Amino acid sequence: MLKEHNWHQLKDDTAQRLNQLAPYFRDGKIIDAKDTVAVLEAVIRSFDRVNIEGNNQKQADFLSECLCQLDPQKIYGLHMVQSSVPLSSHLDLFEKGIAEKLDFAYAGPQDGRLAKLIQDGKIKLGAIHTYLELFSRYFVDLTPRVSLITAFEADKDGNLYTGFNTEDTPVITEATHFRQGIVIAQVNKIVDKVPRVDIPGDWVNAVIEAPRPFYVEPLFTRDPGLITDTHVLMAMMALKGIYAEYGVERINHGIGFFTAAIELLLPTYGEELGLKGKVCTHMVLNPHPTLIPAIESGWIQSVHCFGGELGMEKYVAERPDVFYIGQDGTLRSNRAFAQAAGHYALDMFIGGTLQIDKYGNSSTATASRVSGFGGAPNMGCDAKGRRHATQSWLKCGEEFNATQQQLIGDMPRGKRLVVQMQETFREKRQPAFVDKLDAWELAEKANLALPPVMVYADDVTHVLTEEGIAYLHRCEGLEQRMAAIRAVAGYTGIGLAADSAQTAQLREEGIVKTPEDLGIDRRRANRQMLAAKSIRDLVDWSGGLYNPPARFRNW
Amino acid sequence: MNDLRFLEASARVRASSLVDKGTFTELIGPADKRTSPHLPVLNEAVEFDDGIVTGIGLLGQHPAIVISQEGRFIGGAVGEVGGAKMVGALMLADELAAQTTDPARRPIVLIAFETGGVRLHEANAGLLAHAECMDMLQTLRGRVPVVAMIGSKIGCFGGMGFVAAATDVIVMSESGRLGLTGPEVIEQEMGRSEFDASDRALVFRTTGGKHKYIVGDCNYLIADSLEAFHQQAALIADLDWPQIEAMRRIGSEAKVRAQMALTQKISESAPSDARDVWAMAGNTAPQSLVDMDLETFLSNVKRLPVEEA
Amino acid sequence: MALHQISHHFSGTRERASLPQTVHCGVVGSGDLEVLLEPKALAGGIEVSICTPVTGFDHIWEIVLKRFLENGPLGNMQVSINDNNATPAVVALRIQQALQQAMPGETHHE
Repeated sequence: MLKEHNWHQLKDDTAQRLNQLAPYFRDGKIIDAKDTVAVLEAVIRSFDRVNIEGNNQKQADFLSECLCQLDPQKIYGLHMVQSSVPLSSHLDLFEKGIAEKLDFAYAGPQDGRLAKLIQDGKIKLGAIHTYLELFSRYFVDLTPRVSLITAFEADKDGNLYTGFNTEDTPVITEATHFRQGIVIAQVNKIVDKVPRVDIPGDWVNAVIEAPRPFYVEPLFTRDPGLITDTHVLMAMMALKGIYAEYGVERINHGIGFFTAAIELLLPTYGEELGLKGKVCTHMVLNPHPTLIPAIESGWIQSVHCFGGELGMEKYVAERPDVFYIGQDGTLRSNRAFAQAAGHYALDMFIGGTLQIDKYGNSSTATASRVSGFGGAPNMGCDAKGRRHATQSWLKCGEEFNATQQQLIGDMPRGKRLVVQMQETFREKRQPAFVDKLDAWELAEKANLALPPVMVYADDVTHVLTEEGIAYLHRCEGLEQRMAAIRAVAGYTGIGLAADSAQTAQLREEGIVKTPEDLGIDRRRANRQMLAAKSIRDLVDWSGGLYNPPARFRNW
Repeated sequence: MNDLRFLEASARVRASSLVDKGTFTELIGPADKRTSPHLPVLNEAVEFDDGIVTGIGLLGQHPAIVISQEGRFIGGAVGEVGGAKMVGALMLADELAAQTTDPARRPIVLIAFETGGVRLHEANAGLLAHAECMDMLQTLRGRVPVVAMIGSKIGCFGGMGFVAAATDVIVMSESGRLGLTGPEVIEQEMGRSEFDASDRALVFRTTGGKHKYIVGDCNYLIADSLEAFHQQAALIADLDWPQIEAMRRIGSEAKVRAQMALTQKISESAPSDARDVWAMAGNTAPQSLVDMDLETFLSNVKRLPVEEA
Repeated sequence: MALHQISHHFSGTRERASLPQTVHCGVVGSGDLEVLLEPKALAGGIEVSICTPVTGFDHIWEIVLKRFLENGPLGNMQVSINDNNATPAVVALRIQQALQQAMPGETHHE
């Protein structure tokens, strides 16, 4: 053993930084907002790994803006590790030369600018992750040295109340603090006593009351007024051809209009099919406002949330039998746990995408936008570590046996249902089915190691379009899978290559089902079927508890 | 079909649902193929009815002339052909009025507005149509009640806001909007700090049905269903003239003076939001009116009195 | 510039019932179209005229029209379409709806 070796260099370094922070404390761990830039300069060193809490909803926006004000002559080369970069200030750091490397999961509205900065060499890209994957690396090789987080309230001891939007805060704080890192929080309000301790004060080094509340995006609100008849048709197909067929109980829904339509059909078409209590009983999902009618009709037994949703605070608080609620009466969300639940404990992921290739790989990337993955791939895949059985998981596994047997013999094993819903054409008549994903071109342009694929073809079990459902896992081999995809690809180039005799054969074998095969009357597929047709209807369903953001109101 | 929302209904469905079931006959319908002569040169799609449905039906024994604008076609903007159809429908009402003196058979005009006003692609013809409509409303004055039915997605803005103001009776749902300058244009001209058009709650409490009802710009606030609009139309068709005349917001010197006095009174109170105006009318908790259902709203709301000066 | 016109004629070689009445379906909203079916003595044939701002998709129009009109149940009709950037799926849907409306015994559905 080397006696001379210093085994607490990190701790010493941290102590030295905290020493420089000390003069700024006003009362306990409270620091004045006006000192923020000076404080960041005191605790951050060039080439540090820094996390700015950028969830896909709440944002440590004030701290991010202050970080941009550092002198790039003094502090540079930062390695940003954070789940999302949706704010312009997140990327300004790279333009200014304060930061140079990025590891992230989701870019949101900054996807175009991010692609350009990578292309111009202003950002050295580590990797694009899924949330769970990035959180895992926080505990391996991407631990932040300094984390700038955000919460609703704090007391002078640094105890944080994250309230409705806990999201990533626990995982960031745990990884940073327990590896001697420094945690600084911006809060909306300093209070004498927080309503609930979401983050213990001794994990937090300093708290700052920001001049304005942190920014939250209502990312999961879909206006029922914008759901089309085609969405309704596809939702009916999903309910009859998948939910009912497999008896799927534990589900994550994507955020698009397809799944909003499904949620709004549960109390109508779902009821008619006699599915209440049999499907869609447990969900891992943000508090989608479009879920209200199903909850009120008694469909949903539990919902665990990644984050909150603006306007749903009161409704959720009044439904503690359904949501995960703290003693204070508000939602406790947690993205890391919800993602883990989404990966291991769900029977189905169902959501939309942008492009599906002839093999069934799907991607939301376009040639000039690096949008990232977020959390969908952790749910849109088979959890290979799963060992518990449910009815739908077993049935899907049995149907997959033709393929599975080639690797594991006659050993039975289940399979997660992964459903990709997509109209054959997107807006401006862009085909959704393509020979080659735009992701290839993006990978080349932005020097990515791999084309960014959201869901790989071997994980997809069902492709659902307005033409029909392709039950891909029932196929034998890639050739048959490709034929099944062609059969539901409509008038796209891929679809036009379908051979009608082969399609008829696939329908015969139950590998492809059209709405008619499923016994769905297309004429009934219209908006009249929706349990709520407007945001106002959702407010009514909630008994006035849902308080939609101003931009969604039309009364 | 009639449990369908007025808000969601197409112009054609609205038109046929406003009159008694089975009585609607479309005039100059799609099969006549009177498309805009101006749009093709601009490579803009055309529609066989040019975005306006005109026709005739019955409300009891009253012939009901219907004009219904389609917001999904170029935002319901009025061009040459659609404008001429509107004017033609109003002329038909004039002719029918001349044929009877029986109050039970007195014609009525119903206009389901869904428009931002003039179609910019053919602005001169569109503007002229607006003027001709206003002119026809004067011709019909005192003989044929003209009723504005406002509850569709686009609302009623621009020049057609003037036309609506010149009708005898205005019927709205809470999702209806009525104004002159549209929200986006106000924001563009006056700045976002003055009016944030993306704040839909603000837009609706400034131009929506409830506000218009409180300030007296609309006469009836009704439920958002095709049936509610039909029933309201039938009710109005049976009213006698003094009752109709009393519902006009403008149209005589005394009425205009009363409106100006009200405007003066409101502007002296320097409101910063529509809710301040509602409070002026005696509504002590104005914000609570926003989410109130129709029935509760109607039994609780206090309206601004438009007193003749 | 002007709107693009596409014409098709399907001869009356197949057994088709005659269109019994004029039918109209759809609104020319963005990404949508209207379809007008009118009875016309064409010896069982079908005449189609399409007016659209879109060019370069004539072959797709042809495929959709063949599938739903040439192989459809009705003839002796003039089909007139005003399109505003509808996807082939929406075109197929509106044509199917128009044909359904035209079939005897069908109630009006919009």
